[in-house]
Amino acid sequence: MTFSINRRTFLASGAGALALGVLNPRFAFAQDARLRLLWWGSQARSERTYKVVDLFKKAHPEIEVDGESAGWDNYWSRLATQTSGGNAPDVMQMDYRYIFEYARRDVLLPLDKYMADGTLDVSNFSTQSVAGGQINGKTYGISLGANSVAMMINKAAWEEAGMDTPQPGQTWEEFADHCEKLTKTTKRDRFYGCADQGGLEPAFETWLRQRGKELYSAEGKLGFDDKDAGEWFAFWVDMRKRGACVPADVQSLDQLTIETSPLSQRRAASCFAHSNQLVGYQAINKDPLTMGPYPVKAGSSRPGQYRKPSMLFSVAGDTKNPEAAAKFIGFFVNDPDAARVLDVERGVPESSKMREVLKKESSNADRIQIEYIGSLGDKFAGPLPPPPPKGAGEIQLMIKRKNEEVGFETTSPEDAGAAFVSEAAAILERS
Amino acid sequence: MGNKMTGQAAVNITAVGPPRQQTRTLQPHRKAQPKGWWGKMWQHSGPGYMFLLPWFIGFFGLTLGPAIVSLYLSFTDFDLLRSPNWVGMANYVRIATADPKFAASMAVTLFFVLFSVPLKLAFALGVAVVLNRGIRGLPVYRAVFYLPSLLGTSVAIAVLWRQLFASDGLVNSILAEFGIQGPSWISHPSYSIWTLIILSIWQFGSPMIIFLAGLRQIPTDMYEAASLDGASKLRQFIKITLPLLTPVIFFNAVVQTIDAFKAFTPAFIISGGTGGPINSTLFYTLYLYQEAFGFFRMGYASALAWVLVVIIALFTAFSFLTARFWVHYDD
Repeated sequence: MTFSINRRTFLASGAGALALGVLNPRFAFAQDARLRLLWWGSQARSERTYKVVDLFKKAHPEIEVDGESAGWDNYWSRLATQTSGGNAPDVMQMDYRYIFEYARRDVLLPLDKYMADGTLDVSNFSTQSVAGGQINGKTYGISLGANSVAMMINKAAWEEAGMDTPQPGQTWEEFADHCEKLTKTTKRDRFYGCADQGGLEPAFETWLRQRGKELYSAEGKLGFDDKDAGEWFAFWVDMRKRGACVPADVQSLDQLTIETSPLSQRRAASCFAHSNQLVGYQAINKDPLTMGPYPVKAGSSRPGQYRKPSMLFSVAGDTKNPEAAAKFIGFFVNDPDAARVLDVERGVPESSKMREVLKKESSNADRIQIEYIGSLGDKFAGPLPPPPPKGAGEIQLMIKRKNEEVGFETTSPEDAGAAFVSEAAAILERS
Repeated sequence: MGNKMTGQAAVNITAVGPPRQQTRTLQPHRKAQPKGWWGKMWQHSGPGYMFLLPWFIGFFGLTLGPAIVSLYLSFTDFDLLRSPNWVGMANYVRIATADPKFAASMAVTLFFVLFSVPLKLAFALGVAVVLNRGIRGLPVYRAVFYLPSLLGTSVAIAVLWRQLFASDGLVNSILAEFGIQGPSWISHPSYSIWTLIILSIWQFGSPMIIFLAGLRQIPTDMYEAASLDGASKLRQFIKITLPLLTPVIFFNAVVQTIDAFKAFTPAFIISGGTGGPINSTLFYTLYLYQEAFGFFRMGYASALAWVLVVIIALFTAFSFLTARFWVHYDD
């Protein structure tokens, strides 16, 4: 038997394909407005986001919303490609690191008009949290939640070893001793006190700020020198030597995601992350987790951490439905049902009313996060630094690599510090 | 007759000319012949081109068009969001003089090509020779050995590889049986590239199929004559099989070298896109990708792409130039 397509079957299948196209709901109804929504994040985040989209569609049947998600890595290339092709999503999740870049190129819509006429209500936001999305006096992003850097702590692992979990206000040196002790006492196989976070940019930044330095100055230059970077790498050399943190070949499996972190891989009892990620970490870790602030500098430590928008929603400058986009964001940050679904997965809600809703109803793990952000105070949290300059993304990758070079002993911490500063300066110059 | 002939044959005959005239006189024509250059062209090759149309659209729209645009972009500072500015040769000058990552990534790629291609070809040839002995169930073995080639560049396999060579992966579990505590192979700068080379060797299926076909072409009477003369199996292999197989070896070597230069997915997945640890798996293509889609330097990445095109072309040209010294065509 031979397989052949004659004209009739060809026509029939063509008609079938056409019918399928007609049946596709995308073309079936004529909505007043159609929005495309793009975000990055884990499975847990996607489920919550789709639920809120459904709630919104129920409340506003005239607006259709198509959601699309990507991992952090692919997100920025996808967003840049779509924006470049004139096909930017109407509503996009934005990061504090990139918002300046995008706003400067006029591809984002200023939202002040819609905030003024009440389409996008931010009256329950603090001035500080609205300011997190402002550039040159215009609002380009609405914060979806507040977060700060935080240490993820595997409570069970510390308790099993008969030890206290790392406490707020612990100095870096005390933390190192504490971790070394856990590695020595734990019964778990090849298990360490902490992940090797010498290559983690937010950890380095916090450490710098505690010494009165900064990662980048307001002019977009480096705010630290060879010596700072060298001492930072040296601290982690000591950590590895003492077995306080995981060895280099375990750490280099960490791809800066929740899933690949040594904590989630059950190799470390603590790791450094951001507070809103507690939800994501807890979702894939069986042991109960808690969190606390990063260690502080011995003696007089300046506040190293800061409260920041964990992520924002921005609207494309060329959207056809600015009104609908503003309405959607307004719903996302102000609707109590949406807040219940979203919870604190994107950080603690900026609207005081939504915080009240969650405080009353949320589970223990979520309350940890609300309380954590509230507890930082002036002791741990300082002012928001200016948005990082262009090239910061490349430098973030480089600090990871430099820490690996030191970890695999191909260079000394001092040399790595000097090389880091000169290469980072070259990247900033080029960008 | 013109109506019955299709494709290549029809084109050949019309190209020759005279025979067509003959057939016309032999057979009463059914249709009026179109007048004019265009009409003739259409009747001769139009339907053929119509069938080729999807390919043409793909080639011009998705391959040649973007390639030409990328050549233009390689002389600009395009960053995806703003319109490109002409910067002349600046990108190429930077590649040649001031980019340590270019040299580093090229070194990683050359190392990969240098080891993965010969090892893969040797392995493929070895398996092909064994399979060529006429064992029962050959089609099954052939299919099974070919499978990795189909799966090899997929994300799933790269993820599997990560698991195999991780610190608590299968490889280390086996080593542990012998009392050896292995490192995390994929995340150690001294070994990570070798896991990628092994992955590449494992995908020996497609050169193996071609070798197998080549082995079938070698006349058996040569082996018979050789064994009558008392030549050992090894000697037969060296004196008969290898020389007669050189065209196939050459073909496989060229194709696999080009493929190895372009390798991307496994390194991307295994290192999580970073090329780490310490740039030990920073393939040239991965560096190009980072520049383009990580740091949005599309102009510079385009220049890198064109440099790779030139390097691959040089390698291929070099292979063809040296081929006449070692490739024997059986004329």
